[in-house]
Amino acid sequence: MMNTPQLDHPLTGPFWKAAARQELQVTWCGACNHAVWYPRANCPDCGDPLHWRALSGEGLLASWCEVAAGLNPNFPTAYTCALVSPVEAPHIRIVMQLANSPAEKALSCDMPGRVRFIPLQQAAGEPYLAPAFEPYHDDDTACDKQLAPG
Amino acid sequence: MTRRSLQSIARAAVVPDGGTSVALDDIAGAAAITGIGETAVSGPSGREPRQMALEAIAAAIADAGLQPADIDGLMVSGHIADQVTADDFRRHFGTRRPLWFSTDGGAMIWAGTCGHTAATAMLAGKATHIVNVFAVDWASRRAAGTGTPGDWHAGEALKAHLEVPMGWYPQPVYFATFARRYMHEYGLTEEQLATIPLTFRRHANGHPGAVMGGRKLTLEDYLNRPPLAGPLRREDCCLISDGAAAWVMSPTERARDMPQVPAIIDGVGHGRIAGAPYISQQRDMTATPQVFAAPWAYAMANTSPSEIDVIAVYDCFSSTALMQIEDLGFCRKGDGGSFIQDNRLHHTRPRQEGGIPCNTHGGLLSHSYLLGASHVVELVKQLRGSAANPVTDARRAVYAGFTADESSTLILRRGR
Ligand SMILES: [Zn+2]
Repeated sequence: MMNTPQLDHPLTGPFWKAAARQELQVTWCGACNHAVWYPRANCPDCGDPLHWRALSGEGLLASWCEVAAGLNPNFPTAYTCALVSPVEAPHIRIVMQLANSPAEKALSCDMPGRVRFIPLQQAAGEPYLAPAFEPYHDDDTACDKQLAPG
Repeated sequence: MTRRSLQSIARAAVVPDGGTSVALDDIAGAAAITGIGETAVSGPSGREPRQMALEAIAAAIADAGLQPADIDGLMVSGHIADQVTADDFRRHFGTRRPLWFSTDGGAMIWAGTCGHTAATAMLAGKATHIVNVFAVDWASRRAAGTGTPGDWHAGEALKAHLEVPMGWYPQPVYFATFARRYMHEYGLTEEQLATIPLTFRRHANGHPGAVMGGRKLTLEDYLNRPPLAGPLRREDCCLISDGAAAWVMSPTERARDMPQVPAIIDGVGHGRIAGAPYISQQRDMTATPQVFAAPWAYAMANTSPSEIDVIAVYDCFSSTALMQIEDLGFCRKGDGGSFIQDNRLHHTRPRQEGGIPCNTHGGLLSHSYLLGASHVVELVKQLRGSAANPVTDARRAVYAGFTADESSTLILRRGR
């Protein structure tokens, strides 16, 4: 079954509009000062309305899966899917793909990296910008990590 | 019979953070499974689910020594298309009596919780002999391109908008992601994980009618297969099948005078993760919601893992089977990979020799994908002593049901 991002959806549209601007946003409770994911209208802990907040894009690779060609009819060629925990919200996980093919770098759980935005296109439908996790390379310096994503 | 209070069960049923147990009233010993029935299981067959369901029901009623007119309750799945209705039952069997009807039956978690729902209905005087049935034609549907087991996941709004567009779909992708995390945290190897599909395949090889009954699987075969959703291979993933299974549940005092050895329903548990149904956010990726279900069932049955002789776990994937063996309490979290070695899950290694025979019919991996309904039927056969791969002197059995965000636990005891 095909599902492309719906920019006008009240709960999930803001995530995809931000992604189109190459920004990673999640819903946040100001009173509790923590992320609530997946999005909903109100904080499950205190009941306050949630708002969207931009994150730095840095995070840890909670886990991943190498999807063989043909398993997912929406994405017919092989790809790697990941769960990423943002540094500002280590208790949540954002679903995304990996930015590079795994052969380029050995993956391990909890490895740090950052989100950049890549075009995804399913078997049918228009391409869209989506967050993708890029592990830091061993020779990355702290200075490199501060470069703007993109 | 003195029943335990909810508070008393809750005190005994300690569960970790990250989910909850459903507060199920004590029904221990009130009802029993008194008849079982199955159709043939297969790949694409063109068989119609209602016809398969009626065939399985007829077999279960006959097995219980009853007539269709004795049945006054019917439980089916409310989540799968084309299940039978009370009218279908009356029309097919030519009966007139009203049927107490519930859509909280079928397979998956409901194959476990239906024992509680049925016993509660009996205690309230709503029905006496209740049939639970489950039929599926997903092999035919997939072959015809008219449906897949992933449809629900792609239809739920937040999953459809935040998972499917990223490619986190279908189910093998979810559980491969969790299996990878488990391997990272506990050092599970592919060779260790292979023990699950290899053991279940050996069981299927000895179980007449199992879909993979005629196909051997060696460790070398397994390791040579490419990942489907790495680290999982096709052999780690359930079959897709056509078939049906049913069972009759009766008050235990009636069961004593019925022909089959009753499988008494001693305990039922039902748990779910916080934030259900979004499993990507579950607190512990290396555990299943069985950790929130099993303690309640053990407390209701006043038993413990050490007293269980045979289990059947919902093995949609090898890794979820492994996690549930841990989550049922048979070994510590993380020890599963070494625990399952040395034939410990095979039917020839009983409890007194340190084993815990598991999925002795071959499970979803190698018997058929009846979503757990065949698991319960197999446990009843083990308690009766009539299973094709027998476990010596099995007295207590546990079914672990699973729907990803929820689990159930059904504890059965040999009635005589
Ligand atoms: Zn709050």
